[in-house]
Amino acid sequence: MRHTLDIYRRLILVQIRSQLQYRVSFLLDTLATGFQVFISFITLALILQRFDGIGGWTLSEVAFLYGMVEVAFGTMDMLFSGFDPANFGRQVRQGAFDQLLLRPISATLQVFGSQFIIRRVGRIAQGLAVLTFAIVSLNLNWTPAKLVYLPIVIASLVCFFGGLFMIGATITFWTVDSIEVINIFTYGGSEMMSYPMHIYPDWVRRFFTYILPAIFLNYAPALYFLGKPDPLGLPPFAAFLAPVAGIATLLAALAFWQYGMRHYQSTGT
Amino acid sequence: MRLFFELFKRAFQRALTYRAASIAGLMTNFFFGLLRAAVIMALYGSRTDVSGISIQDAITFTGITQAILSFLNIFGSYDVMNSVSSGEIATDLLKPYSYFAFWMARDFGNAINQLLLRGLPLILTYAVFFHITLPNTLAQWLALAVALMLAWAVSFSWRFLVNLSAFWSPEARGIGRLAFGLTMFLSGFMMPLRFFPDWFVALCNLTPFPSIINTVIEVYLGVLGGPELIRALLSQAFWLVLLFVICQLVMRAGVRKLVIQGG
Amino acid sequence: MSIISVTDLHKHFKVNKHRSGLAGAVRGLFSTESTLVRAVDGISFSVEPGELVGYLGPNGAGKSTTLKMLTGLLVPTSGQLLSNGHVPWRERKTYVARIGAVFGQRTTLWWDLPVIESLELLQYVYKVPRERFRHNLAEFRELLELGPFLNTPVRSLSLGQRMRADICAALLHEPDLLFLDEPTIGLDVVAKERIRQFIRHINRERGVTVLLTTHDLSDVEKLCERVMIIDHGRLLYDGQLAALRDRFGGKRELVVDFAEDEGAAADLSVDGATIIERDGPRVVYSFGRETISASGLISLLSARYRIRDLSVREPDIEDTIRRIYEERLLEKPSN
Repeated sequence: MRHTLDIYRRLILVQIRSQLQYRVSFLLDTLATGFQVFISFITLALILQRFDGIGGWTLSEVAFLYGMVEVAFGTMDMLFSGFDPANFGRQVRQGAFDQLLLRPISATLQVFGSQFIIRRVGRIAQGLAVLTFAIVSLNLNWTPAKLVYLPIVIASLVCFFGGLFMIGATITFWTVDSIEVINIFTYGGSEMMSYPMHIYPDWVRRFFTYILPAIFLNYAPALYFLGKPDPLGLPPFAAFLAPVAGIATLLAALAFWQYGMRHYQSTGT
Repeated sequence: MRLFFELFKRAFQRALTYRAASIAGLMTNFFFGLLRAAVIMALYGSRTDVSGISIQDAITFTGITQAILSFLNIFGSYDVMNSVSSGEIATDLLKPYSYFAFWMARDFGNAINQLLLRGLPLILTYAVFFHITLPNTLAQWLALAVALMLAWAVSFSWRFLVNLSAFWSPEARGIGRLAFGLTMFLSGFMMPLRFFPDWFVALCNLTPFPSIINTVIEVYLGVLGGPELIRALLSQAFWLVLLFVICQLVMRAGVRKLVIQGG
Repeated sequence: MSIISVTDLHKHFKVNKHRSGLAGAVRGLFSTESTLVRAVDGISFSVEPGELVGYLGPNGAGKSTTLKMLTGLLVPTSGQLLSNGHVPWRERKTYVARIGAVFGQRTTLWWDLPVIESLELLQYVYKVPRERFRHNLAEFRELLELGPFLNTPVRSLSLGQRMRADICAALLHEPDLLFLDEPTIGLDVVAKERIRQFIRHINRERGVTVLLTTHDLSDVEKLCERVMIIDHGRLLYDGQLAALRDRFGGKRELVVDFAEDEGAAADLSVDGATIIERDGPRVVYSFGRETISASGLISLLSARYRIRDLSVREPDIEDTIRRIYEERLLEKPSN
């Protein structure tokens, strides 16, 4: 285990060093990712201003949700970029994944260490800025419990999104083309989770409650932090299920990933 | 034209062969459409009309944008860039047609495919779930066809131009991501530009981006009166010509650099 | 005790058929056909420690599939496979720690890193003791002439340089077994030769057992005493290269320059050999092993005529193997 972690650390350092080699491109990319989040928030803000909020939530309240999701997705996208389905699918097709299997250490760890996109700090930073704006403008009633729970929710969201990436990567063991439908769950999931969930049709919300436990990771905790009444009638403990939902998703994804690797070894490409 | 036809046929075959991927792609576009429609409905709440756009129009907007998303390649394309970086461009330049026209034909073949195999089924599916608006005069349909073609041509020229940055920067993908991100937000893809404050719209109008999406939407929804409509189409044409000229100039400079410095 | 033993190994794949043409694509909408491809169809062989074996076959014959099973990347459909005391896919991590593998088309090195940093990373991955690592690197660096590009990022290496770096990477942890898939593909003559010399070196000096697949028969001629030939998933031949030549080598040729005055005279024909070319005093005879030996033919000729010079031409190994593929000279697996 110590050996494994040591290798992981070295792999990540290597990634960081080689990305910093192209300083201009690194800066540009970081700016680009940050800029996209920024401009998408600006347009959202302008629209919410025009319509006086959405579904009874003010701009600042939506910003809180949005900031939380952005920070988590950006962090996940950095830690789990080796599992990014589009990229991972290409690795499998080109035989690069075989190379990982030829080394005497965990293949999963090597996939983690195979990509570490530091330009995602742009997205994380912008997400933090939006979150800060929300917290400052909302003048929330912070209790010690809430202060401790916020980072836990964000970490759970990271696990949740990471699990989705892993599931997406695993699917590419079966499909020739990395199929777009995976985006529904990854990018689609993060986008829909930036809005209060009560605006969606019942069946969409049910899907993101029972099949993917997204609602426990963004909406329910946000209601708790913001002190808003729950129009959906979720049980009161729903706000505190975030860590359970996050870890369960990640574990399920890991199990599926292991199964996918076994399938890959029996069929190849 | 013959080249275009061949490419079109091949892309069509591919789409049929990988129909699982095609259907999945369609589902993806549809799903995002649903999300966006839900957001629109929540935004409208009890309102029926905002800036001259009815709720029905706004829902139609989400369907249309999802339908023409892949026709216009809103998320960007990196093919030309890859060909420049890998050096394949050298052989392409030897072929007896213009490099711009070659890629344009390829892009067009692909675009028409996307319109027929992705856009059309998507809007039909949409019609099952929502009550969508349709253009109601022949003139409006004709104007829509013209606007769509111009939008595609502007989109292609813009993407081509962005791709040419690969002549100068080995890491042109970053530039691409930035440029295509810009396209998505300033073209009216996310929301009709009419919803935004005047200063924001004025800013957008300084760029070719509204010609790629917003014009098509406004023509489709019929919110433009006669002279406004003409002006919108002319503005599309203006951006097309301008981008075309810039592409040619940049292309020439790029090739010169390639020839002198050997890539 | 064999280091590799393979018994009745099978690997079958199900492949979905794509029909060709537009009509085919439309028909494909309604039904798909799949076919069973027997990539490896019942092969058996064993390799002794220290052997250097060439594994030959045309494209799609099953070479790579076999190699993938031997390296633990693929699980066989059926059959037994024991390599270096392990079942490769079942004990992947322990097994791959003791083998080296280079798949010619793919690099195991980190694309953006200088070669030396990749090698150092592998030192940690394989837990090679610092002293051993330094010692091995020094040796390989000299033999493979890695010096000039050790600090160059892998992405800027030429194919030959990359291959040398990859081979070095596969051996730093002192594996017992080395698998090479097309190690010389796409390389120029000089680079090929350098790599062959190195392979021979580590096989002879370090006793590493080597199994290599190749298209290039000169690799085989220069390196391997033993060859295995596979086609359509079956072993066509497994044995000494020399024996292969003897059995399937076809006719040899004897080129004779007769003394001036003999040329015009007699018909010069001999029993057991046919004249295939006659150009003034130079005559080329073709003869089979089964009818007459080279020395027999020469003594026959020199007894009758005065000879100025002669030489024997052996048939090309390339021709030999091509004949085996084309004429399917070996219908049954040889073991």
